[in-house]
Amino acid sequence: MDDSPTETEAAIHRWFGIDAPNAPGRRMAADLALTIKAFEALRGTIVFEDEPAGFEAALQATKETQP
Amino acid sequence: MSTLADLSMTEAAAAVASGQATSLDLLNACWANLDKANARVNATIWLDREGAEAAARAADLAVSQKKPLGPLHGVPMAHKDMYYQAGKLSTCGSALRRDFRPTVTATVIARMAAAGAYTFGGLNMAEFAQNPTGHNKTFGDCHNPWNLPYITGGSSSGSGAAVAARMTYAALGSDTGGSIRLPAAACGVTGIKPTQTRVSRFGVMPLSFSHDNVGPLTRTARDCARIMTVIAGHDANDPTSAREPVPDYEAELDGDLRGLRIGLPTNFFFDDTDAPVREAVMLAVATLKARGAEVIELALPLMGHIAAYGSIVSRVEAATIHAQWMRDDPQAYGQHISSRMYPGYAIPAPYYIESLSRRGPILRAFAAEVFDKVDVLISPTIRTVLPTLAETDIDHGPPGTEHRFMSVSSATRPYNYLGLPAVSVPCGLDPNGCPIGLQIAGRPFAEARVLKIADAYQRDTDWHTRRPPVLA
Repeated sequence: MDDSPTETEAAIHRWFGIDAPNAPGRRMAADLALTIKAFEALRGTIVFEDEPAGFEAALQATKETQP
Repeated sequence: MSTLADLSMTEAAAAVASGQATSLDLLNACWANLDKANARVNATIWLDREGAEAAARAADLAVSQKKPLGPLHGVPMAHKDMYYQAGKLSTCGSALRRDFRPTVTATVIARMAAAGAYTFGGLNMAEFAQNPTGHNKTFGDCHNPWNLPYITGGSSSGSGAAVAARMTYAALGSDTGGSIRLPAAACGVTGIKPTQTRVSRFGVMPLSFSHDNVGPLTRTARDCARIMTVIAGHDANDPTSAREPVPDYEAELDGDLRGLRIGLPTNFFFDDTDAPVREAVMLAVATLKARGAEVIELALPLMGHIAAYGSIVSRVEAATIHAQWMRDDPQAYGQHISSRMYPGYAIPAPYYIESLSRRGPILRAFAAEVFDKVDVLISPTIRTVLPTLAETDIDHGPPGTEHRFMSVSSATRPYNYLGLPAVSVPCGLDPNGCPIGLQIAGRPFAEARVLKIADAYQRDTDWHTRRPPVLA
């Protein structure tokens, strides 16, 4: 891997003052593109009428009523 | 040879209450196994022998004076070293907290103490509860009592190993992506991740405030049920804890599975499952069927969304909590910890908010489609035969090791995003002699049901009573 910071590494440094801690960290930062891609692939695939909605309310609404 | 240390936690409590054994006897039985096996297993970070013996004597005095006894009276325990006890060491498995002594006591520790239990040590764990394997750079890797080169599962590595090796009758773990269920599965013990909000997290080291859960690892489902009855319920110190009434979980354990609808997923949970694991799980399903349960195959909805959103939430929250240390002293972390946290700083905030805001609607959609058809879902806890510590060592292994490492928790993480309760019980041994875990998940607040099924299974099988070779 090239020693110069990638765009992602530069952004993390600019926003948080944190540098890549090691080589696996750089590899995983590079893999972030896959996470973003997976996230973007979901765009528009589901639509909920009740967004935004509370998670705690959903826990109550879907809870076990008879053990 | 069976010893006092082979008793389940509920049997141990009964022995003390009836006078058949003293609390000091129980403690000495734990010490004996610690002395015998801990040098090889490395399940502990600290031990307080003097304090524990004083607590045991006090417990025995209360019995002799016929004082009212709690349901855990006189039972010695050790917990994952991230449950705060005011003034006592709580390393969180990290060099960064090697000398940390909190000023508060965790609500769950206080509740267990009020029920009569006492703590004799802090157990090994993944650094800041951040790996599914049991590697630890600072305190040493925890080793599987069933086969020492193999992983214990993590992050509650010492909890799984110590319960399996009869070094403690019970241990608290924490579960953000599987960290109770994975060591339970890998070490052949029983562990439950409760519903999100079911148990207070006050005084417990945070990792991902949306996904963190507190729960027990024990040898039996009955033991878990008793501890859950003690620790569950609203806590004024943790405003996120649910106000849901707490049943007597143990009272629900009647072995009757007639009418139960078991869901067997046809997608995701069995993907790429190793043959020995699949066979063990299917045998377990047959055992439950023989008790009257109906088995229904079904495809689960939204699994891709759950995996993607859950990953974003966990990574961003862990990165946020650790930002200061990642800035000031990143080399204090193990490589596999800092390297996994690092990309979390580049995830856009709207992605995180979207992941969180969709959690409720996704749970509603999942529950409507799944729990109208079945009562529980069954799957392997870990899809593969256990890997070795070396095969999953990101710090010293070749590039790509992280993929084998992350696959360990692939079947447990979805329930953290969904917030559902899930128990893991031992259901077999793989070709390397390492345990296989069966995962049973239910609706929100269905702890009674999943524990009842786990208990019914343990009435017909003996996997949970077997002793690991490290005690031979």
